[in-house]
Amino acid sequence: MNTTIIDLSLWDLVTVYSLLLMSIALAHLLRAGQSRDIFWSGLRMFVQLLVVGYVLHLVFALESALAVFLILIVMSGFAVQTIGARVEKKMPNFYRVVGSAMLFGCGGMTFFFCTLVIGLEPWYDPRYLIPLAGMVIGNSMTGASLATERLAAEFHERREEIETALCLGSSVKLSAEPAVSSAFRAALIPSINAMAAMGLVFLPGMMTGQILSGTEPLIAVKYQIAIMCVITGSVALTAFIILRFGYRSYFTSYQSLREQ
Amino acid sequence: MNCRELLLAEDVTVSRPGNDGSFERILEKTTLGVTPGEVLAVAGPSGSGKSTLLRLYNRLLEPDSGQVLLSGKDIRTISPPVLRAQVPLVAQKPYLFPGTVSNNLRASARLRRVEPPELHSPETKSLVEMCRVETSWLDRDARKLSVGQQQRVCLLRALLGPCKALLLDEPTSALDRQTGVQMAQTFKLLTKEKGLAIILVTHDLEIAEICADRIALMISGSVIETGPVTQVLNAPQAEASRQFLSSAVPDNGDVA
Repeated sequence: MNTTIIDLSLWDLVTVYSLLLMSIALAHLLRAGQSRDIFWSGLRMFVQLLVVGYVLHLVFALESALAVFLILIVMSGFAVQTIGARVEKKMPNFYRVVGSAMLFGCGGMTFFFCTLVIGLEPWYDPRYLIPLAGMVIGNSMTGASLATERLAAEFHERREEIETALCLGSSVKLSAEPAVSSAFRAALIPSINAMAAMGLVFLPGMMTGQILSGTEPLIAVKYQIAIMCVITGSVALTAFIILRFGYRSYFTSYQSLREQ
Repeated sequence: MNCRELLLAEDVTVSRPGNDGSFERILEKTTLGVTPGEVLAVAGPSGSGKSTLLRLYNRLLEPDSGQVLLSGKDIRTISPPVLRAQVPLVAQKPYLFPGTVSNNLRASARLRRVEPPELHSPETKSLVEMCRVETSWLDRDARKLSVGQQQRVCLLRALLGPCKALLLDEPTSALDRQTGVQMAQTFKLLTKEKGLAIILVTHDLEIAEICADRIALMISGSVIETGPVTQVLNAPQAEASRQFLSSAVPDNGDVA
């Protein structure tokens, strides 16, 4: 069996991009109005990934902890930025709360995995750390935006319920409990679904990638199981921190609901 | 101001940022209090600041200046949950938690982390009777009761605790006439028999006349007149009160 990966030539890429042209043609045919979106997204993907490829190439060669650290900071920054753009109704102190939650959730979980589980030497080995952290940050980003969005919606819908509880002598924490637990559930649903459907409905990207580049399938499977646990842990921890500190921002200092 | 008032708002001012960046005055140096055993009705046109004033009494809202006293003590020195259990507010639209009526009646105890009330104790029983909550409702889905029944459950739920004063925000406006009148009689009974103090915000002068001892008329953020209910309704002193009352009372002039 051939274990060396087959490289794609520039011509190969041009060939696959013809599939995007086909998609544009189909969208045009159905008047879906997405031709421009497909074109620009396709172009963005090309440029962004090309840049990332070169940056990773450079960082792998550098073997510097600082460079790895910088990459992770930039990735997290983009993630927080994306959450901010996606969530319409932001809680006060949104960026501080979400930023620190991502830092503790993703950073903590990735560090745990790389040092205690895989036992990387050095611990910042970019070939492992960057792709693993990328997956953790990406999934936690989705979890964080689901949690913040759901929390805002819950506080909007449950205004009467929360105020009634406050008027009966409830603490803010207890009055917010239904809203907070619903937001936590929303954040965790994608991870739960992904774990349950894993292998049956789809073959996950990391495992597929490892297999494609010649890794023994059983090793790839073990990595996939491990990364799913780390992702779920990170989503849970990130959402927990956001909700634990975020719900308070819907209340005044004298424990009543803020006006909307 | 003397200390007879159980609940007293003193010189309270509330303003809110308007759309154009200016500040809109909702309440202007308002002073109004209620004594134990008394129903105080607060009436006035919509937008006069009645509901805002009501929300100051249990600190759902804080005034920009002035203070609110409970038994002579600044409410800012009491923890909000303790204050609100003693001074609950019942809203215009009844809100019941999902579940049965008895689940709702136990909710405030659960929320305050205290032992649930014994629904068969003589003390509770008399409250149940005054609120006209029937024991056959206890195991029913609270949200399937009629609006009038739901409002009575809300009232009882607020009372099953260390309640000293009750804040009512248009509690009868969602009810039909007969049920509204019965509720008004309940308010009166609660103050006379249990010594509670009630502040009742209403635009319904008939309800006010049935149950209130005193009435305060509010217009654009100020109390313009306050006094015994029959006196104020029949012989208002201020010109603005006369104008409000003549617009609020049906043409035949029959208030009661």
